[in-house]
Amino acid sequence: MKTTRWLAILALALGLVLAGCGEDDEESGGAQEESTPAAEVEQFEPGTPLGDIQQEGTITIGVKYDVPPFGFNNPQSGTVEGFDVDLGRAIAERLGVEPEFIEAISDNRIPFLQDGTADVILSTMTINEERVEQIAFSDPYFIAKGRILHKKDDTEITGVDALAGKSVCTALGSTYEATLKEQAPEAKLKLVDSYSECLESLQNGSVDAVSTDDVILTGMIIQDDTLELVGEELTQEPYGAGIRTENTELLEFVNETFEAYKTDGRYDTAFEKWIGQYTGAQPEPPTISVDEAVELVKQSAG
Amino acid sequence: MPFAFFDVLTDNFDAFATGFGTTLRIVVLSFVIAMVVGTLVAAFRVAPNPWLQRLGAIYVEFFRNIPLLVLLFISFPGLRRAGVEITAIVAGVASLGLYTAAYVAEALRSGVFSVSKGQIEASLSLGFSYPQTLRRIVLPQAFRTVISPLGSLIIAMIKNSAILGGSILALDDLLKAGRVIQSRTFETVPSFVWAAAGYLILTGLATVAIRRLETRYAVRR
Repeated sequence: MKTTRWLAILALALGLVLAGCGEDDEESGGAQEESTPAAEVEQFEPGTPLGDIQQEGTITIGVKYDVPPFGFNNPQSGTVEGFDVDLGRAIAERLGVEPEFIEAISDNRIPFLQDGTADVILSTMTINEERVEQIAFSDPYFIAKGRILHKKDDTEITGVDALAGKSVCTALGSTYEATLKEQAPEAKLKLVDSYSECLESLQNGSVDAVSTDDVILTGMIIQDDTLELVGEELTQEPYGAGIRTENTELLEFVNETFEAYKTDGRYDTAFEKWIGQYTGAQPEPPTISVDEAVELVKQSAG
Repeated sequence: MPFAFFDVLTDNFDAFATGFGTTLRIVVLSFVIAMVVGTLVAAFRVAPNPWLQRLGAIYVEFFRNIPLLVLLFISFPGLRRAGVEITAIVAGVASLGLYTAAYVAEALRSGVFSVSKGQIEASLSLGFSYPQTLRRIVLPQAFRTVISPLGSLIIAMIKNSAILGGSILALDDLLKAGRVIQSRTFETVPSFVWAAAGYLILTGLATVAIRRLETRYAVRR
């Protein structure tokens, strides 16, 4: 009896030690990557927003954890990956700091910026009029299109006009709540925290359709090929990085980083890696400004 | 700023009212399930038959030892994937009701044990059957001693109902109303303060009802 108890304690202790090692490995792996910067890092004055980040040595970036191919937790490597994550790494690299990724869902990402939990939000966030009043946006880095996803064997849903009386899932706090209320006022909206819950609900039949950005829906089709996109585009959704309104220094820095990222080939590589190889689409880095993005959203929402 | 605080309520009154209605419905239905099933399970647990006792114990341990949120994931997506066409509200109410029933059963059982064994023996020797003894002698006394623990359970249940709206069930309850309004207005604190006020109304009413019952029936010591 006594020996078993000792063995159990030993096993527990060993487990804790091993878990600790795992973490260390990850950190040192990140540091190795970081120790080969492409160019000399510009140093900023301590006391300024960028100087503070450099002094701290990490920049906190809120990304989605369940939205392939933009931000998702890879179960094999245990790290978060995706198009947004690569952009976040580019910002951190240019600042010469470590990126710390935290999960930001549609519902909490703006509060995260306002209360200082995150420095930057890169979570498939559409630039729109309401949000521009709350936070600052970088220049658009991607333009997604709003679409509808349904089961292939469901012939009743042919597009947004056929959604009357149907239940449609989208994320709480996303732009699709308003879009669907306008374009499909008779549809029953199911608002959940994350698109993985929408996928589950569509698969188990508790909703008839999911509506959100085409790239996110493509990620779902990659996971389940009994689903397909249907109907016309509902909206145009220019994505931007979210930054606290007062933090103009960081905003400018992010815009410069994105500008370089779009022109030096890194954008095309990331696009092909995360999106192009699945959809066959060509990279088209957006060239419009934040104001033009707001206009675009207004027009496409009709 | 204080004006904006009240505007959040007046501008979104319909959404808050609908959410309040849904939460009220969830709470009332779950309460009925919890009391009926809880009493039944408590009766099993104190029954003379050891198999019934075991059955009652399995029920209590199953529902008391699984987090409510996990139960919701089993009862809704799980059953639907298994081909049961259960709706979100049924799954939610059943989960919350059956979960609370386990606690209710334990509270009632503790009440039953507060009735002295001598009374049960006396009742049986006077020719009452076991169910009659339970119904006529034991449960009325047990109920009196468990009013306040039951009250705490009901208040906990009202608060637990918020888990339904926050889960994959995507029910439009009071918490959900607060969250939807928050995402629309970006007024985080007022949105949730008004949702909290809605919960306070429900828990407040429950508290008053329990106090009434206590003053009427509780054992005075």
